[in-house]
Amino acid sequence: MSKANSSNLDVKINKFISGILMATVISLSGCATTKDSEQNLSTNKDDPYENFNRKVFTFNDKVDDYVAKPISDGYKWVTPQLVQTGVFNFFNNLKNINVVINDALQAKFAQSAQDTGRLAINTTLGLGGIFDVAKHVGLEQNEEDFDQTLAVWGVSHGSYLVIPFLGPSTVRGVPGAAFDTAANPSTYIGFPIMAAALLNTRATAEGSLQFIDEAALDPYIFTRESFLQWRDNLATDGKSQTSNDVDDLDNELLADDKDTAVKPGLPINVSKAEPTKDKKTNPSVSLEAETKELEKTSKSLSDTTKSLDNATQAFENADSKIDKLKKSKK
Amino acid sequence: MPFRQSARHKVNNTQIYYIFYKVLDMILQKNKLALFFIVCLFAANSAFAINEPVETAKQVVEKFQTELIDVMKNGKQLGYAGRYEKLHDPVSNSHDLTKIARIIVGKEWEKLTETQQQQLVDAIIRLSISSYAHNFKDYSGEAFVFDSEEETTRGGVVVHSHLNIPDDKPVKFDYMLKEKGSSWRIINIIANGVSDLALKRSEYTSILQREGFDTLIAKINEKIDNYSKL
Repeated sequence: MSKANSSNLDVKINKFISGILMATVISLSGCATTKDSEQNLSTNKDDPYENFNRKVFTFNDKVDDYVAKPISDGYKWVTPQLVQTGVFNFFNNLKNINVVINDALQAKFAQSAQDTGRLAINTTLGLGGIFDVAKHVGLEQNEEDFDQTLAVWGVSHGSYLVIPFLGPSTVRGVPGAAFDTAANPSTYIGFPIMAAALLNTRATAEGSLQFIDEAALDPYIFTRESFLQWRDNLATDGKSQTSNDVDDLDNELLADDKDTAVKPGLPINVSKAEPTKDKKTNPSVSLEAETKELEKTSKSLSDTTKSLDNATQAFENADSKIDKLKKSKK
Repeated sequence: MPFRQSARHKVNNTQIYYIFYKVLDMILQKNKLALFFIVCLFAANSAFAINEPVETAKQVVEKFQTELIDVMKNGKQLGYAGRYEKLHDPVSNSHDLTKIARIIVGKEWEKLTETQQQQLVDAIIRLSISSYAHNFKDYSGEAFVFDSEEETTRGGVVVHSHLNIPDDKPVKFDYMLKEKGSSWRIINIIANGVSDLALKRSEYTSILQREGFDTLIAKINEKIDNYSKL
């Protein structure tokens, strides 16, 4: 990485953060009055900011219902399937630049060569990526991004975050997304293309969103769990998932009678069990909850900033990390 | 292992036909040996039946997948109700739904009354069948392919397989099975790395803690209802 590039990255990251901060403030002020904070009963270790996240989730859901979905539905209605596929392929092909970079950063050199071939074939024979020619010669699309690279470098995913407008992420995912955005040419072309990219993303996600709607008893948790598992699975290329899962469940089965250890979250809700009943008539309790909420929110933001620092640092040591990975593979 | 077995089956079948032919020949020639051969043949066959091993984990999964594909092939004619009907036995016989119900509510299970536990198991059975009936409704050339089999630390088996979908990326299906009595039963399905059991567990325990048992059952019923309508 040259100096010019990394300073460019810094600017991008800064822009990204300030955007998120602004969006957060807007969404918070919009949501503060919508719902009294539910007590956080089932504290999940991956999701300490659940109350805050739930609000953003609700907010995003509304945005999707009233803005994104209607536009996307309109797009799907007026655009023939062939064109939709072309648009999808076009943006997907641009993404492959980033895939190639991240292949290399994770020391997957064979895959990097393959993906470079894919990018080259689709850009030329596929007329700028509109046709996915490479798929038919056996070069399948690989999913790699900077978040996965950070995972391979040993950064843990950190707390789960729901980001206004953008949806599920983690503390590690934020710098990941910043890098990916910076490495995607469609970012630089200008507003119409970016809007088209967003529209394409929403239209592609239609199936999954519908599935969540149909299958989820609690869409927030369903989204969170499937997102975290899916990212984990991608980061480890599908290796660790099953065995971990199996072991966890086994432990659970063995322990389910003995272990009723009180979780850290429990004492809080015991003491608050009574006030919750007449929460509406007791302003001091809800005020307290709101303050705590804000504290948590600011902590989640500082966590994110910290993780950006970490990512930048991790990136500075990229050379040595790739070398290490290379050696470990041999 | 099971592969070798089925191969042997085939060999045996051709052998049997061959012997049958010979025997017929002998009967025609009124050879006394014929009787002896017939007896031998029956003995061999019945011995086979007794020795037939209980299905392996892989066989349980493959049988279920075949039944699922069959239902998909006739999905349109069957309609939702027909698919539900056809899938009832395959799902109940291959999955350990009681254990699944128990795992997905975790420690909350002990706090439920016996009636509630039964109610939950019933709801999970109906939910599982209806979600299959809803999500596997038609056929466009999909096929399950077995990849590998793996034993877990505590005596479970994971069967790795994937579903090939024409013009789409294949979906990985990993089945985790445990022994129930003398047969293997599916207790978890991991699709493209997302564990159904873990997902349901987080959802169900959270709803139980936040909103209580009745709401949970009501929400499950609502999902089943939606599946039948969509």
